[in-house]
Amino acid sequence: MAEPVQFMSHFTTVEYALPDPSPLNVHFAEELAKGRIIGHKCPACGMVYMPPRGYCPLCVVETTAKDEVEVADRGTITTFSVITPLQYQGQEETADYVQATILLDGSDTTIMVAHLDGIAIADVHSGLRVRAVWAPEAERGGATGSLARQMGLGSAVTSWEATGEADVPREHFAEHIV
Amino acid sequence: MRDIAIVSFAQAPADQPPGQTETLMLLPTITAALDAVGMTRRDVGFTCSGSADYLTGGTFTFVQMLEAAGAWPPISESHVEMDGAWALYEAWVRLQHGDVDVALVFSSGRASLGASLRETLTFQLDPYYLAPLGADYVSLAALQADAVMARTGRTERDLAEIVAARTALDVDKLLAEPYVVAPLRAHDVGPPVDGAAAVVLVAGDRAKELCDRPAWIAGIDHRADPHYPGMRDLSRSPSTALAAEKAGVGRGEVEVAELHAVCTPEEIVLAEALGLADRVDVNPSGGGLVANPMVVTGLTRIGEAFRQIAGGRNRTVGHASSGPCLQQNLVCVLEGR
Repeated sequence: MAEPVQFMSHFTTVEYALPDPSPLNVHFAEELAKGRIIGHKCPACGMVYMPPRGYCPLCVVETTAKDEVEVADRGTITTFSVITPLQYQGQEETADYVQATILLDGSDTTIMVAHLDGIAIADVHSGLRVRAVWAPEAERGGATGSLARQMGLGSAVTSWEATGEADVPREHFAEHIV
Repeated sequence: MRDIAIVSFAQAPADQPPGQTETLMLLPTITAALDAVGMTRRDVGFTCSGSADYLTGGTFTFVQMLEAAGAWPPISESHVEMDGAWALYEAWVRLQHGDVDVALVFSSGRASLGASLRETLTFQLDPYYLAPLGADYVSLAALQADAVMARTGRTERDLAEIVAARTALDVDKLLAEPYVVAPLRAHDVGPPVDGAAAVVLVAGDRAKELCDRPAWIAGIDHRADPHYPGMRDLSRSPSTALAAEKAGVGRGEVEVAELHAVCTPEEIVLAEALGLADRVDVNPSGGGLVANPMVVTGLTRIGEAFRQIAGGRNRTVGHASSGPCLQQNLVCVLEGR
C-alpha cells in the first residue's frame, strides 16, 4: 500500500510590475542627476524632509514645489554599525564595513550609507563630518532611469569622505538619532 | 447600544498623477472628510484603516498610509487587511465602548498596479485545491453566473441589462461583445482601479450638531460562508441573508441599496439575499461594476448609502463583500431621522 500523503509542495509565483515613480521622486532624481540634493521644508513646523515626501507627517500638511529647499552634500555621522559580512548567497562584501547614518546640513531626516572612503573603521565616530563623493554625471543614473526608484541618494553618490572639520557635539544631532 | 452616525464621506479624485503615493491620495481625502464637518485630526478619538499588501506587493504598507491620518503625537488606531467597510465595523464597535465619540475610517488600494487582480486574488484561495489551479476571481464569477442562471432562469441578457442600467450602454451591443470567461463578458466585471476614501463616524447628539442629516447606523452585521466555493450553492448567499437579518434590513422600507457587486451575477445573488423589493434603487452610484477600487469598493458603498441619506432619503443599505464568490458579507442599514 502506498504511503499516505502527508506533505505536498505548491510552488507559486506572482510577478509585480514596479509602479511608476511618483512625480516627486522623478523631480528629486532629476535634481540629483545635476548634483543637487533637494528637500521639502514644512511650512508649519519648518522640518526639512529629504528626499521630499510631499507632506509633513508631523503636521499632516501637504508640501509642494514652493516648499523646496536645497540640502548640502555634506553632513554629520549620527550613528553607525560595523558590519561583519557572513558569506551567504548574494553577499558581495567580504571585509568588515561601516553602515553609517548621516544627517546632511539643512535636513532633518537622515540617510543610511555604506561606503565611507578613506576612513578607517576605528576612526568612524558619531559627530564625524563627511561629504559626498559624487559619481561622474554620466554615471549617476538618469532621472528616468533607475535613480528615481532608489533609496536615499542612490547611485548619484558613490561614497563619503571625511571633511577634516571639527566634530559636531552630540547635542546638535541627538534629536535625529533613531 | 450607543447611537452612531456617519456624518461625512470623501473620496480621492479618480485622476491621480501617475505614480502618486497612496499616502498622498489619502491625505487630502481625510482632510476633506474632516473639513466637511468642521473637524481636524485632533478631534478623532479612534482611527481604523483598511488596505491589502498583496495589491502592490509591499510589506506593512499601512504604516506609510497612517501618516495621512496624522499619527504624532501617538493616536489610538487599528487596521484591517481587507476592505475598509470592515474597518468601519471595527470603528463602530470601538465607539460602542463609550469613551470616545469620533472615529475616522479610511481605506486605499491601487488595484491598477502590481500583478493583475485576477492573478493576485488567487492567493485568497485554499492552497491545496484552488490556488494551484490558478482559479481567478473572474473564472469563479463565471461559475457563479452559471449557477445563478441554472437556478433562476436568468439569462446573459439579464446580466447585460444590469450593466445597461448603470451605464446607459445598449444591451444588444453588450451581448455582441466576446466572452472573457463564458458566460461573462468584459462589461460583466468591474474594472480594477486605484482609490481612496474616508468616513467620519460620530456617536450621540454630537452627530446632530455636526451635520444636517446624519446617517444613523440602525444595524450593522457581518457574516461568512465556507471559504471553499465548492461547498456552497454559489447562486445563493446565506451569509448576506443572515447579516441582513441581524442588521434589520427587513424592519422597514429600503429606498436605496448600494451593493458591493464587482461581477454582474453577484448583484442578482445579493439582491435576493437581502430581500430587496423590485422598487429599490440599486447602486445609483454605478457600484462596483463601473469601478472596482479593491478594498475601497465596500467602504465606498456605505459612503454612497450615506450620501443618499444626506440627500434626503430616509433608509438605505450599504453592503460590502470579501473573499471568493461573495464569501464574507457586511450589511449596514442607515437611517435619516
